Amino acid sequence: MHTVKTLVYEPDIRRKMGLIKSLIVMYDNMTGNWELNYQLFKRDFLQQYKKSLIGMGWLFITPILGIISWVFMNATGILSPGDVGIPYPAYVLISTTIFALFQSFYTGASGTLSAGSGFISQVNYPHDALLVKQTLQQLASFIINFIITLIVLSFFKVYPTWMIVFFPLLIIPLFLLGSAIGLVSSILTVVMPDLHRIIGVLMGLLLYITPVIYSSKISNPTLQRVIEWNPLTYLVGGVRDAIIYGRIEHLDRFLIVSAISLILFCMAWRFFYVSEQKVIEKMI
Amino acid sequence: MSEIAIKVENLSKKFCTSLRRSLIYGTTDMLNDMLGMKRQTEGLRKREFWALQDINFELKRGETLGLIGQNGCGKTTLLRLLNGIFPPDKGKITINGRMGALIAVGAGFHPHMSGRENIYLNGTILGMTRSELNSKLDAIINFAEIGEFIDSPVSTYSSGMTVRLGFAIAIHCEPDILLIDEILAVGDGRFQQKCFSKLAELLKSGTSVIFVSHSMPQVQMICKDAIYMDHGKMLAYGKVEDTIGFYYNKCAVNVFESSENTKDNFISSYNISYQYLKFFNTKGQETRTFESGEDIIAEWKFNMPAELKNVSVYFGMANDVFTHSGYSTAKGYDNIVVERINSDTVCRIHLKKPFLSPGEYIVSIALWDDKMQDCYYNDYESTGKIKITSKNKIHTRFQYDHTWELTNA
Repeated sequence: MHTVKTLVYEPDIRRKMGLIKSLIVMYDNMTGNWELNYQLFKRDFLQQYKKSLIGMGWLFITPILGIISWVFMNATGILSPGDVGIPYPAYVLISTTIFALFQSFYTGASGTLSAGSGFISQVNYPHDALLVKQTLQQLASFIINFIITLIVLSFFKVYPTWMIVFFPLLIIPLFLLGSAIGLVSSILTVVMPDLHRIIGVLMGLLLYITPVIYSSKISNPTLQRVIEWNPLTYLVGGVRDAIIYGRIEHLDRFLIVSAISLILFCMAWRFFYVSEQKVIEKMI
Repeated sequence: MSEIAIKVENLSKKFCTSLRRSLIYGTTDMLNDMLGMKRQTEGLRKREFWALQDINFELKRGETLGLIGQNGCGKTTLLRLLNGIFPPDKGKITINGRMGALIAVGAGFHPHMSGRENIYLNGTILGMTRSELNSKLDAIINFAEIGEFIDSPVSTYSSGMTVRLGFAIAIHCEPDILLIDEILAVGDGRFQQKCFSKLAELLKSGTSVIFVSHSMPQVQMICKDAIYMDHGKMLAYGKVEDTIGFYYNKCAVNVFESSENTKDNFISSYNISYQYLKFFNTKGQETRTFESGEDIIAEWKFNMPAELKNVSVYFGMANDVFTHSGYSTAKGYDNIVVERINSDTVCRIHLKKPFLSPGEYIVSIALWDDKMQDCYYNDYESTGKIKITSKNKIHTRFQYDHTWELTNA
């Protein structure tokens, strides 16, 4: 027999809940729903490839195709980003992989509500718990991507340093920042459908003001300012530097940006928790 | 455990009819929240309407509550609020116990996954744990009667199979409170019987039920109390017989007021209509209400420009689930020769001991040629309604005159 619990539904009950209390409730939801996350993960991730012939092979092919275009541009002289300390293709590969991870955290989080769109109006289940499933889905694709990246890097005689052990910890700020933007987007997209597309475009532009395809020393002073103020410069760069060079340049800035990301995440999460009830009725 | 399973106080919910405005209001509400301002819930903004207004009721543990009303009166919205899909605009809902809903079966089914996999998926979405599902898996598969197709992808199932599977999962959830939204209307007769048996089992073990249906016999059979809703408001709340009675009275008033207008609502290329349609009981009194089993005498006169020869007269009755009994004088049917008919002909039919289940019945009359090939007049079931009441419960569509005998050895 299960224990009987009492639920009360009132207008604005979530808004009136304090910040700490709502974070605790959401944390409980996330950790108490592993089975649901696992089932939905199975449904959405594994089923993607069931029908296709190449199937899971796409997970391997896609990253390789991505690198080729950058390497091609470098080989033909279109892109000369300057000295980055290691062979350019290797640099691009590892940088874009990490940047793509950030993008995928955003994509995953922004699909938190729409992942359940089929049954969101029929069954009551904790929607914030879906964030875990969305993130896991993105991580699953990423891990394969990452392993291939490391293998290709070894062909360029670039081997990961000991700091790779800290890799799971180091990507947490990326998760926090990407998910914060994603959660807010997931709610706002219901009432402003254009927003999703706008953010998607902006994300693409972000790539150009983060030192991913070029080194962090740029001749143009304005661009240099922009890069210095871009939080991703430190979050993406820090992870990359840890893996390749074994140290994090600008460690202090990395930590500050990480702290800000954590705060943003808590705010975004609470925003999600309070607002989702109001937008669900628009989703029906 | 508390005695009260559900308590609803002053519940109200509003929606917006315009999509654009609805999105704008959603945005403004969210901005208000972010800035810490109170959300505007008191009055109605442009294009908003109250889907539910001031609903109050209590459901005690182990009791059943019926919810009746015409389509669009707010029943599904009320169930969604009870289920926690979205919050109310005013009022309070208190729920003690685990809620299960048979509102939409097959929620979250993935078409490429097999039935078995979907049992785990759907069951988890509905709140069952893995160990629960493992122990109930066989019971669910047997109940659904899908057979060997349980391991085929759900996209290959017929709609009936999908419903049976979804239903089997939902009904094994064994919640403390069960919400049923007209879902027992699907499935073949045998499956419906199984569902009712399982439901009876749940009721015996103390589950409280809210039952939404258009079938008055079903509501009367299952529920102790009932609520009648109209346009978002509760018009009646009390014992199920009283509420259903109130519902009939309200409907009857509407129809009887308008039945006089239906003289124009017919198909006839022969310019035929009817003058009147009256009902009498065996005492000769004109009435529109009959006890189940009481003889019904119907009398009417057609209105035609000229006499017609070799015709057949038709009389039929249908209720809200379209049980239809029809009588025709034509050859091969009742074989009554009607040589001629004109505007002075009084037509009468005497139905003997019709043990009909309580409810309203629409009466229709028609005029055909004697081979029932050419239709001179057909009112398409719009002529009028009579009401059948019953002191005893009848939950099947009709019964026959009968006596009981039980002898001990």
